This record gives sequence, structure tokens and C-alpha cells, in this order.
Amino acid sequence: MQRGSIAIVGMGVTKQGRALGVTEVELRRQALELALADAGIARDAIDGYIHASHEREDLRYLGLSPNFSWPVQTGGATAPCTLIMAAGAILSGQADMVACAYGMAPSSGGMPGFGGKTSFGSLAYGYPAQVGMIGAASAHALHARWHMDHFGTTSAHMGAVAVQLRNHALHRPDSMTFGKPITLADHQASQMVVDPFRMLDCCRDTDGGAMFIMTSAERAKKMARTRPVFLLGAGMGHNIGNWHKRDLFRFHDAIAPAAARAFAQAGVGLSDIDTAQFYDPFTISIIMQLEHYGFCKPGQGGPFVADGGIGLDGSIPSNTGGGQISGFYAAGFTPLIEAMKQLRGEAGATQIKNARLALTSGHGLNGGVQNTWSHGTLILGAEA
Amino acid sequence: MSANPIGELVAGELDAPFWDAWKADETFLLHRCNTCGRHDWPASCCTQHGRGPMQWVAGSGRGIIDTYTVFYRAYVKEMESEVPYTVAVVRLDEGPYFHTRLVGIPPGEVTSGMRVRLRKGHGDPFPLFVPE
Repeated sequence: MQRGSIAIVGMGVTKQGRALGVTEVELRRQALELALADAGIARDAIDGYIHASHEREDLRYLGLSPNFSWPVQTGGATAPCTLIMAAGAILSGQADMVACAYGMAPSSGGMPGFGGKTSFGSLAYGYPAQVGMIGAASAHALHARWHMDHFGTTSAHMGAVAVQLRNHALHRPDSMTFGKPITLADHQASQMVVDPFRMLDCCRDTDGGAMFIMTSAERAKKMARTRPVFLLGAGMGHNIGNWHKRDLFRFHDAIAPAAARAFAQAGVGLSDIDTAQFYDPFTISIIMQLEHYGFCKPGQGGPFVADGGIGLDGSIPSNTGGGQISGFYAAGFTPLIEAMKQLRGEAGATQIKNARLALTSGHGLNGGVQNTWSHGTLILGAEA
Repeated sequence: MSANPIGELVAGELDAPFWDAWKADETFLLHRCNTCGRHDWPASCCTQHGRGPMQWVAGSGRGIIDTYTVFYRAYVKEMESEVPYTVAVVRLDEGPYFHTRLVGIPPGEVTSGMRVRLRKGHGDPFPLFVPE
């Protein structure tokens, strides 16, 4: 992908919250309406649809008539993946205007259309579930324990991440924890869930929808009513290579190939990035990604955060909406939404001055033996 | 500590020999490339030599703890009586990772790098490990 050839011309974000009682497809419909209004286009302009789910009835329910409808699911890396697929569709001449859809209602689980109930079968985490390794926290906990034992990272370091994210979120009315500060002592006193994670190291499921509308940069420039953000670089990596090398837990994911491709396409360096929006279901995710992207030295992610490195005045202000842990959990769309807000100057109390370039990440999926497998990097810019 | 299976083991074609051998007499198999001698688990395809030379062979059932976590919460009711329990990733001496539960040691005494071995003779439906 050539830098500056693809633009995001519309974003729709529904209410995000616990147990909204709105079906998943309805969340996507609401997000679509918002995104169409944001882009200033009509429904029939959408000629490509990519959705982060496997449901079949979206097009009928949404009133869309595109040339294609592609389901995609690669866990928390699905969000960057949908944007990459949209870019591919546009650049290969398959579509001019692609909608990338998300809508999940895990915290309203148990009813048709409201997401699945948590059950052994639905987790699909493979053999480790047979011995009671259940849930995403444990997969990340294995990485956290490895990091602690090799680098001396402590629970207090992870607590520093939790407090920093909350310090961002508590000023943001669009976060789940608006106006609710926490201290390091609160973190240390919170219940141990899956060692080394305490309750305050973990995000909570929330319901919500999001929609991104993508088109060519050329067309975006002709759309008078849009405020485009440009997709400058993208890359993906998969941890299976590290599994084969038997060096898995050192890596949060295979970030190196994803980052290398994204930065090469964007033609920028790490020091050019104004803000990072990481996929952060658990506190260790921030620490390890800071290291693997190169914002700090290996093993130094904990002290880096404790010293204010990801704060608004830090060297790389990160997860400025509180991330998934203190903001809301819209899977890989959480970091994308915040990057868009920063680049459009809509991040309110945690707006970074002159934010022009944002790094975002997504990660997830399971490969039969539970781990964090897939990683996506996107670099977004306020200019093409 | 008992070893309640929390779901039906679906052997499937690929790993059927492993589960059949474990169920028969607690033989612990690994999938090995006969060309380069590299071991894998579960059933795999050699990244150098493909699927052809892969064969199930007996493994030592010994290794070290690469990393671990302790569950203080049961995510399914079948595990409620086991909490707190340790899930460990064993680096088998032959090389592969093996995710399992570590039993016979309080969670607080588990450390990364400690040597462990397969537990036999307890009728475990899934192979569990104990300190060596």
C-alpha cells in the first residue's frame, strides 16, 4: 500500500456500556447511521461491507446493497484487519466506499442476538481448557509471569498502568469510568483473579457498535463534508513463528513484522508518532507493546509507565481514552476510535496538542492452544 | 487434587493416536519429524520437511516450567473445587510446549524453571504434571 492512498471518511460509535440490551446487529445499524452522517453520504454509496462477525443477515437488516460482504474474525486483530481488507478492496478496484463494521453485546449475553453465554464450548481455546485454562486473562497472565520472572516487572508496575489509564479515562465522559479515580493502593488491594492479574489489571466486557467508512484518498479530498483521516501504513504479524522457534512468551505477539511493514509504508519513524493507542485488555499488554514497538528498552515497560511515559506529558501519550481497561471494550476498535478522536481533535480533556500521527494496534485469536497470536499495526495520519 | 475433565475430549483424526495411547496405558506421545528429529505437540507439520515424515513416538514426559498462572477464580463450575489451581506451560525436554495443570505443590511454591514430570497412575483424563 502506498502512503496516503486510503482514507477513513466516516466513523460511527454507538453508546458503549454494560448490558445495553441492544442486539448486536442493531448496534451495527446504529453505528452505520452515525458513520453515514459523519461521512455525509447516503446508504447506497456503500459498495463494500466487511464485518467483524460471522452473522448472515447484516445486509438485509442494514439496508445495504454492496458488491461484497466479507466476514472476518482474527480476534482482537480483526479491527486493523478489516481496514487492511478495505484498503485491498479499494486499491484492487472492487469497491469505492467500504464500511467496516463492529457490534457486540457480550455483557448482555444469553439471549438470541445478544452474544453467546460464556460456556466451555464457546471459548474454543483448545486443549488447555481441559485443565481449566479458561478465559483471555490466563493467556495474557502467562506472558505477564514470564515478564516478571525475566525482567523483574512487578504488580506495582502493572498497577501504574491501571492508574495511568484511569487518570485518562476519569476526564472522559465517553469512558466507563468517567469521574472514578483509583490509586495504586486500590489496585494492590483489588482481588487476585488469575495470577499475576488483579481485578484492576483487567478490562470488562461492554456492549457497543462501531463503523468505519473507507475510500480512496483521492475521493476523500472531493467529499466536502468529511474530515478524513488517512491510513498511512499497515502491517500484520502472527506469533506462530515464535511458537515454532519455542520462544513464545517473550513476545506479546509477533509485533516486529507488523510494525516494520507499517512504518515502512508510512515512511515515518517511531519518534514521529504523536500518540499510541494500544490494544490493552490487560495491563501487561501496554508494558510489552511499549517495549516491542521500541518506545522503551526490553524489560523497561513497567518503570517507563511508572515514570509517566504514557501520560499526556510523557514521551508517548498512550491510550488517552482509558483504553479497554478503563475506557470501553470494543475489541480492536477501541484503539482505532481513540486514534480517530485524537487526529480529529475530538479527544476532549485528554486531547494531545497537534496530534498528527497515531499508532494503533490490535491483537488476538487462538490457534488451538491458547495464546495471543495475531497482531495488527496501523499508522493513521491527519494528512495523507 | 482430583482431575475432573471439564469437557469432552474430542480426539479428532490428527491427535487420535496421542489420546488413544494416553487412555490405553498412560503412554505420552509426541509428534516427531523423522527427517530432522524435531518433536512437536499437538499434531503438527514440520516447517522444514512437511507432513510426510511426521510420526508419533514416546516422549520422556519431563521438562521445566516455562511460565505459569494461578487461577483464584473458577470460570466454569467444574473447576470450583480446584481453586486455587496452577496452569503451567511445560517446556518438554524434547522441545515442545505442553500446557497442563501442575498438581502436588501449593501454588505459592511454584517457580519458573522448576523441573517437572508427568503424573501417572491417577487415571487423569488429561496428562497432568508434578514437581520432579
